[in-house]
Amino acid sequence: MAEAALIQLKDLTKTYTRGGETLRVLDQLALTMERGGFYALMGPSGSGKTTRLNLIGGIDRADHGEIRIGGIDLAHLNNAELARWRAASVGFVFQGFNLMPVLTALENVELQLLLTDLTRAQRREHASYALELVGLADRMHHKPGQLSGGQEKRVAIARAIVTDPTLILADEPTGDLDRKSAQAVLELLTKLNRELGKTILMVTHDPAAAEVARTIVHLDKGRLGRIETRSPAGAGG
Amino acid sequence: MALIPLSYNLRSLIVRWPSTILTVLGIAATVAVLVGVMALQQGFTALFRAQGRDDVAVFLRQGATNEGDSAFTRERAMILMKTVPEIAEDEAGRRLVSAECYLAVRRNKTGGGGETNVPVRGVMPMSFVIFGRDITFSQGRNFTPGTDEVIIGAKLAERIEGARLGEVLQFNTTPFRVVGIFEHDGPFSSEIWGDHDRISEALERPVYNRVIAKLNDETDWPELVRRMDQDPQVPSKLLTEREYLTSQTSAFSFVLSALGVFLAVIMGIAAVFTATNTMLTAIAARTIEIGILLSMGFRPHAVFLGFMLEALLLGIMGGIVGALIVLPLNGIQTGAMNFQTFTEVAFAFRVTPQILFGAIVFAALLGILGGAIPAWRAARMRPTEAMRRG
Amino acid sequence: MPPFRLVWKNLLRHRTRALLTAASLAVAIFLLCVLRSLLVVLESGIKASASNRLIVQSSVSLFVYLPESYEAKLERIEGVERVVRWNWFGGYYQEPKNFFAQFATDVEDLFEVYPEIELVEGSQEDFFGDRRACVIGSEMARKFNMRVGDTMPVIGGLFPRTDGQPWDFRIAGIYHSVKPNVDNNTLFFHADFLQKALESGAANGPEGVGIFVLRLEPGADRVRVAETVDALFAGGPQRTQTTTEAEFQAQFVSMVGNVPFFVGSIGGGVLIAILLATLNTMLMAAREQTRDIGVLKALGFRDGTVFGLMLGQSMLLTGVGGMGGLLIALSSERFFAQLLGTAFPGYHIAAETVVEAVIATLLIGVLAGIVPALRARKLSVLTALRSVG
Repeated sequence: MAEAALIQLKDLTKTYTRGGETLRVLDQLALTMERGGFYALMGPSGSGKTTRLNLIGGIDRADHGEIRIGGIDLAHLNNAELARWRAASVGFVFQGFNLMPVLTALENVELQLLLTDLTRAQRREHASYALELVGLADRMHHKPGQLSGGQEKRVAIARAIVTDPTLILADEPTGDLDRKSAQAVLELLTKLNRELGKTILMVTHDPAAAEVARTIVHLDKGRLGRIETRSPAGAGG
Repeated sequence: MALIPLSYNLRSLIVRWPSTILTVLGIAATVAVLVGVMALQQGFTALFRAQGRDDVAVFLRQGATNEGDSAFTRERAMILMKTVPEIAEDEAGRRLVSAECYLAVRRNKTGGGGETNVPVRGVMPMSFVIFGRDITFSQGRNFTPGTDEVIIGAKLAERIEGARLGEVLQFNTTPFRVVGIFEHDGPFSSEIWGDHDRISEALERPVYNRVIAKLNDETDWPELVRRMDQDPQVPSKLLTEREYLTSQTSAFSFVLSALGVFLAVIMGIAAVFTATNTMLTAIAARTIEIGILLSMGFRPHAVFLGFMLEALLLGIMGGIVGALIVLPLNGIQTGAMNFQTFTEVAFAFRVTPQILFGAIVFAALLGILGGAIPAWRAARMRPTEAMRRG
Repeated sequence: MPPFRLVWKNLLRHRTRALLTAASLAVAIFLLCVLRSLLVVLESGIKASASNRLIVQSSVSLFVYLPESYEAKLERIEGVERVVRWNWFGGYYQEPKNFFAQFATDVEDLFEVYPEIELVEGSQEDFFGDRRACVIGSEMARKFNMRVGDTMPVIGGLFPRTDGQPWDFRIAGIYHSVKPNVDNNTLFFHADFLQKALESGAANGPEGVGIFVLRLEPGADRVRVAETVDALFAGGPQRTQTTTEAEFQAQFVSMVGNVPFFVGSIGGGVLIAILLATLNTMLMAAREQTRDIGVLKALGFRDGTVFGLMLGQSMLLTGVGGMGGLLIALSSERFFAQLLGTAFPGYHIAAETVVEAVIATLLIGVLAGIVPALRARKLSVLTALRSVG
C-alpha cells in the first residue's frame, strides 16, 4: 500500500497576509493520494484549493508541514532543484488561458520540451503526438488567438502531458468554458487517467467536473472535509 | 459635442506614472539640449550685436572682413583721420576719431587650460571719448598715454595668467603693468587695451588695423560708404560698429543655429517615436474603456481629441521639465571662439523668455505628433470589438 | 539560455512599438556618431603628427611674422636637417565663402619634409620649375572641378594685388596626403613668388614668415633643439616658441575651448533621452509578459532563463537599432564630408567611433533590459500567474 501512495501531505499549514489581515489558508492538513488516482478538490472560494495545488506542484512553499511526492520531500529542494523537478515530473494546466500568445500551438507545447535533452526533431515529434492525443492535429500551427477557448485548454493539456509526467495538476480546467467544450476537456482528462494511468489532481467548483473524478476531496476553511470515493465504473457510465 | 473630461486623461497619466515619467524625461532631455544650444547662440550674438553702436563708424581696409585682416599704414590712417569731412568734433573742436591697432596674442589660460588667443588693442585717448560711458573702471585706473601700462577687460582678468591688477604682462620683449580693470557689456570686456604707440612698438607692428569715428548727425551714410570705397587716396570699407560686430558673429551664430536645427530634427524624431509608443500602450491598455466611452455615446472625434490632449500634456510637461533643467545655465560664463579673428571671447549663456517659450511650443509639438497616430487608432475602434478584445 | 524564438516573437508582438523604439535608437546612435566624428576631426591632426618635425612660430601671436633672416640662422643649428617656410596666404576663390587654406612655401623642401604628401597627378619637376605654379589637394580639385593645367584664380585677402586682380596660379599637380595632419583642401605655391611680388610692389601684405618647420636629423634631441632655437631669439627682434608638430596642432584644439565639452554635453543628453525611451519600451513589454513569465517558471524554466528572456529582448531591440544607426552614419559619411567641406575637412567615421557606438548600444541594451530582467527573475510564480496579462 505504501507504494501506491504518490502524494503524502502532513500537517500542512500556509498563511497569507493580505491587506494587513492574516489568512490561514491551510491548517494542519494531512492527506494521502494514490498513484493512478483521479482526484477532485472541491470547496468554496478561499478554502485553500488552489494553494494546495500550488504547494503540490512546487510553485509555492508551505509555512509548516511536509509534502512528499513519489518519496521526495519538496521542502528539501532549493528553487533550482524544484524547477527541475517540476519540469520532469509535473504537468500543469493553469487556471485561465496560459499559453504564450506569440507562439503557435505546436511551439507552445514544444516549449516545455526545451527543458529536456531532446533534439529538435524529437521535440517536434513529441509535441505533435501530444497535440494529436488531445485531438488538435489540424490546429498545430494556429496561435492561441486563433483557437477557441476549449481548444486553447486542450493545447494547455497537451503541454502538460508532453513530458509524460506521472502527475497532472489542473486548476479549474473547465472554468472559462462553455458546456460543450468543458465536456470535451473532462473526457480528455478521464482518458489520460484511464488509458495512460496519469495521476490527476483537479481543483474545481463545478459539480459536473467533479463527477468524472474517482475521489472527491472537500475542503473548508483550510481544513479537510468529507472524502467521497466513487466506483470506477461510475465515472465512465 | 460632448468632450471626455480632462480629469480622465490626467488620472490615466498618473496611474501609468512610470511610463509618463520616462516619456516626459525623454522629451525633457531633447528640449534641454536644444535650449542649451540656443542659449549659447543667444549669449554670443547678444554680446556682439546688442552692444554695437549705430553712431560709431568703423573704417577697414577694402576687402577685409575683420580687424585682424585690415591694415592701414601710419600715413594712410592719418590722411583718413584728417580728411573725411563728416567726422564730428567735440566742444573743444577736437575731431572725434581714433586709429587703433589690434592683435590676437598668445596667453596661457589660468588653471592650466592651455593657450588661448587674446585680443590686444592699442588705442588713442580719443577712443575713450568716442565710447564714453560704455567703458567704466571697476578696479584701478586708466592707463597713462605714452607709458607701458595696460587695462584689462573684466571678463578676461580671471581667465588668463598675469592679468590681475598690479601684475605684469609681457608682449614679445616688453613688460606692461596692469593698472586697471574695465567693464564693457560687449566684446571689449574680453580684450587688453593699452597705448597705441607703445603696444605697436612692443609688437613691432607699425600699422593701424582700423579707424573709428563719430560722424555728424546729418551724414548721408550710403553716400559716404560709396565715396570711401572709391576714394583715390585711401579707399576703405565703412560700416557702423553694429554692422561690424554683427558680421563678426554671423559665422559662429550660423554654426550654432544649424547645429540647433539639426539636433531638433534628429532628437525630435526620436522623442516623437517615444511619445507614440507610450500613447499606443496607454490606448491598448484602455481598449475596454474606449469601448465603454464609445458605446456610451461619445463620438470618435471626442475620443481622438481626448487622447491628443493627453499626448499634448505629456509634451508640455516634457517642455517645462526640460526648460527647468537648463534654466540654471542662464548667466553662466563660458568662452567660445570668434572664428573671424581667431580670438576667444567670454560671454554668458542667455536663456531668454523667447527661448523658453519656443522650447515649450516645440515640446508640445512633439507631443501632438506623437499622439496623432495612437489617438486616431483609438477613435477608429468599434465599441463592441473594443470591449471584446479587452 | 532563453528560447530565442520567444525573445524575438515577443518583440514582434508589438511590431509598431519595436520598430519605433529601434528607429529612435538608430537616429540617436547616428547623431552620436556624427558628433563624435566632429571631435575626432578636431583631434586627428595631433595624432598623425610626426615626431621628427618641430614648428617655430612667434611666441607673441599666431598673427605675428618672423623675420626672413631667421631661416639661415635656423639652418645652422645642430640637429636641424631642413627648414621649410610656411606663409598663410589667406585668400579665397571667387567669393569669401569659398575659403580654403593656401600656403606660400619652399616647395622643394615641402616634399622632403612631408613624405605623406604625394603627388597623384602632375609632376614635381613641372611644379618646381614654374614660379607661378601651384599644387592643390585632391578634395579641393574635386570640389572646384579643377585639373592639372587649369588656372586657379585666388583673390588675395591678406595680400591684395595692387592692380585689383586675383592671383592666377597654374595647377601643376594634385596631391593627396595619406595622413590627416595635412588636409587635402590646401593650395601650396612658391614662397619666392609671393616675396618677389611684395618687393616689386605688385602686391601689399605683411612681410616675414608665418612659421618655420624644421626637420630634424635622425637621432637629434627634440627638446634640446627647441630650447636652442628659443634661446637664440630670446633677445628679439621676435621671440619664438618652438614646439613639436603635435603641440602645434594641439594649440588650435585648445583655442576651440569649450567646444569638446559642449559636444560632449549634447551627446550625454542624447544618450539619456534614448536610454529613457528604451527603458520605457522594455518596462511596457515586461508588464505585458508578467503572466507569460509566471507560466514559464511554473513549467520549470529557471530564473536565469526568464532573466535572459527579458535582457535578450532589450539587447536584440537595441542591437537592431544601434546597427541601423551605425549604417545611417556610415552611409551618410560622404554627404556630411561634403556638407562640412573645407571648413571642417577630413570628416569621417573612424574605427574608434564605430567601436564607441557599439559600446553605447550595448550599454543602453543592458541598462534598459536589466531592470525588467531582474524583476522577471525575482517575480514569484504566484504573483505572476495572478496578474492579468
